[in-house]
Amino acid sequence: MKSQSQIVSRTLVRLHSSWAVAACGVTLLMCVSGCGSTPAAWFRPNMVEATKQRLTPDQERQVSTVMLAMFGTPDAPVAPPETGLDEAKLQLAAGPVHSDIVGRKNGLYREHCAHCHGVTGDGLGPTAAFLNPYPRDYRPGVFKFKSTERSDKPTHEDLVRILHNGIPGTSMPSFALLSPPKVEALVEYVKYLSIRGETEIALMRAFFELDDEAQGKLPETREFLVDEVLTPVTEKWKSAADALIAVPEMASDLDLAASIAKGKELFYGDKANCVKCHGPTALGDGQANDYDDWNKAIVEVSKEVKSGLERAGETSTSGMDSEALAEHRGQLAWLDKFGRVLDGGDALRPRTIQPRNLRHGIYRGGRRPLDLYYRIHAGINGAPMPAAKGTVPPEEIWHIVNYVKSLPYELDGELGADRPMVAKDRF
Amino acid sequence: MNLPTIHWPHALACLLVGVTAVLLCFGALVTTYDAAMAVPDWPGTFGHNMFLYPLKAWLWGPWDLFLEHGHRLLGALVGVLTLGMAAAVWRRETDATLRALAVAAVLLVVVQGVLGGARVLLDDKTVAKVHACTGPLFFSVAIAIATLTRPPRLAAAKPELSATGGDDVLRPDRWKAVAALSTAPWVTAGLLGAAYVQLVAGAQLRHLDAAVDANTFRWLVALHLAGALLVTVLSIVATGTCWWLEAGAPRRLALMILVLVGCQLLLGAGAWVVSWGFPADWLPQSWTPAQATVARSARGAAVVTGHVVLGMLILGASVVLALSTWALRSSQRPGLGKERAFA
Ligand code: HEC
Ligand code: HEC
Repeated sequence: MKSQSQIVSRTLVRLHSSWAVAACGVTLLMCVSGCGSTPAAWFRPNMVEATKQRLTPDQERQVSTVMLAMFGTPDAPVAPPETGLDEAKLQLAAGPVHSDIVGRKNGLYREHCAHCHGVTGDGLGPTAAFLNPYPRDYRPGVFKFKSTERSDKPTHEDLVRILHNGIPGTSMPSFALLSPPKVEALVEYVKYLSIRGETEIALMRAFFELDDEAQGKLPETREFLVDEVLTPVTEKWKSAADALIAVPEMASDLDLAASIAKGKELFYGDKANCVKCHGPTALGDGQANDYDDWNKAIVEVSKEVKSGLERAGETSTSGMDSEALAEHRGQLAWLDKFGRVLDGGDALRPRTIQPRNLRHGIYRGGRRPLDLYYRIHAGINGAPMPAAKGTVPPEEIWHIVNYVKSLPYELDGELGADRPMVAKDRF
Repeated sequence: MNLPTIHWPHALACLLVGVTAVLLCFGALVTTYDAAMAVPDWPGTFGHNMFLYPLKAWLWGPWDLFLEHGHRLLGALVGVLTLGMAAAVWRRETDATLRALAVAAVLLVVVQGVLGGARVLLDDKTVAKVHACTGPLFFSVAIAIATLTRPPRLAAAKPELSATGGDDVLRPDRWKAVAALSTAPWVTAGLLGAAYVQLVAGAQLRHLDAAVDANTFRWLVALHLAGALLVTVLSIVATGTCWWLEAGAPRRLALMILVLVGCQLLLGAGAWVVSWGFPADWLPQSWTPAQATVARSARGAAVVTGHVVLGMLILGASVVLALSTWALRSSQRPGLGKERAFA
């Protein structure tokens, strides 16, 4: 009897050509997978801002040069002393992933964060387009979940808490399993990227204020770069700890049921008017066509480009003198460039922001009553959610907190102002 | 009583498959924990000869070092086993294909070792991706050798269906078996190919360089999802066709692959969730977990690594299935030619 291998071998010899094809296919696949060597990590310039400010290519280069000198590269970050950042921590977080001689892991940001937040911290990592909400773009220096007043920076502890808890209900994971020194290094690096991004934006905007004799060149003096551009940015970070929200004690003899009832009144009343967005059933089905600041910026420039193109299409060039014609052409070129920047990898497709469904009991900024107090007092920076501060007295904010905390447990029969919740609403 | 004599090529090839499976698990874990650069030098380990690196430092050192150094030691073991297996095949087997496969295994293991070294020395993710694609290729070759070296006694070579035996074929209840006999080899070969492409696509997602732009990533995800669909469809079709084969082994194997593919789809969804969060906007809001996923949790690592390892198992099983259907076809249709059993 023939051994099986002989039989197979005969077939296989007959199939010689298919083997060759398969081998070629496999090789091809591997080549495709390895096509081009890995690009070096680099800080992507803020093209949306540069184009918005109508910077010339030469001016874009000026900004890049200054940025490189001030902040270094993703592999070798530099922190100007004015930032107060700890370079040793930055080194641990920056660069490619590798262990050093004592087995300590370096390159933490690229190991844990960059595939979502991007090497530059621009929220444009490879996975970003799939995530909703989009990962935070640190460059405008705006953060949502913090213990400071609305327009202030988060404190160091706020960022540590975010890394520890993650952001429930979003793709932002918890890094509770990382050791405290690693978390410290990552927080420092987030601040670095944020300060870097804000400085870049400030530089790009500075061209607008140059007088004619500067001839479109930024001064390279210390007074300008440090005192005028960098310091205003770093000051806000340094003063974050002084901007803590003052939270009054919740009265210890508080009658919870009465407090919830008062909170409910406020929630639906004109003063706090939470109902406007969170809806009469608090399912987050009120105003739903708004954007957060990051998306709004893209929506606005997209509109500008679109209407600009329409106008340009209607303009006839026949009666123009040469100066007007040159201006018209310049405008067209700018619109064209902006279109390319928005469609190419520098911006994500804008998405609306949903007011939170308050019946799930999932709070992105933390579920301690204190966290909710911060959220309601200061609103959510960068999001449409407004601050109740100023319209609602501090003690009464606690009533709203108590009402919000009761919402996931409220019985169906007692729901909202105009309609009871039905099963479908849960989805 | 006669003790069965050991057929060395087969025994060594089986051992090789087993050790390679462990090696692949370590490799997958190295990627999951981003531990590839835990040891900066190569072929040495922190200046030591790799084999003399203190056992205590390895076992009680950092987790990353445990994985990476363990991966290297296992790699070396697989290299030695491959040489032994190839020598045994060369001495005991005369079959040209088997010998060619043995040579291919030796070449692949050498290339794979060098790629692993290059990945470390150049610290290059591109090399890492190719390294991740060569691994399963070597695994497939090892499995093919183990399958083909099976002694006839074990190889269940007894035809259960005689497709050429006279009028038998024309019996109406046999046409299915005959049809299956000519399609199953192609379907299973297709499944094998698709399973491999799927591993290649998966490797691109796993070795994601942060500098990759969102659009490229979108295409990679699309490719991997399309591949998942293709593998699923092919494994269903393969099970269907093998069911008609009237041979027990391919039937069972195909069914097993189908079940594994089902598990793999679930693991894939799990891998998405532990890596990129719960896709809250695609699913009912009330399914959203109240806690954020925890990065680097043991459970998360198990899901992601399990997804990779199961992918390799599916590939390996597809190799065996494809070979067995091809063998069945040639054993039962020696005159495999123009004259069709039925027109
Ligand atoms: C799977 C993707 C993902 C990964 C990985 C990830 N993040 Fe995030 N991150 C997000 C998303 C999405 C948001 C925005 C959530 C929102 O807007 O509600 C976010 C928000 C943040 C914020 C802003 C919080 C605020 O108050 O505004 C910080 C800071 C942050 N991430 C830091 C990190 C750091 C540091 C790492 C790595 C250790 C990391 N993230 C890893 C997705 C991710
Ligand atoms: C202009 C619309 C608007 C109004 C008015 C508004 N919210 Fe919001 N609220 C939002 C949006 C949008 C979000 C989601 C923000 C995000 O995802 O970053 C939100 C989120 C929340 C959250 C979730 C915070 C977390 O940590 O997840 C709470 C709680 C909340 N709002 C309570 C209130 C209360 C109480 C009021 C009334 C004082 C109120 N909101 C008024 C739009 C609004």
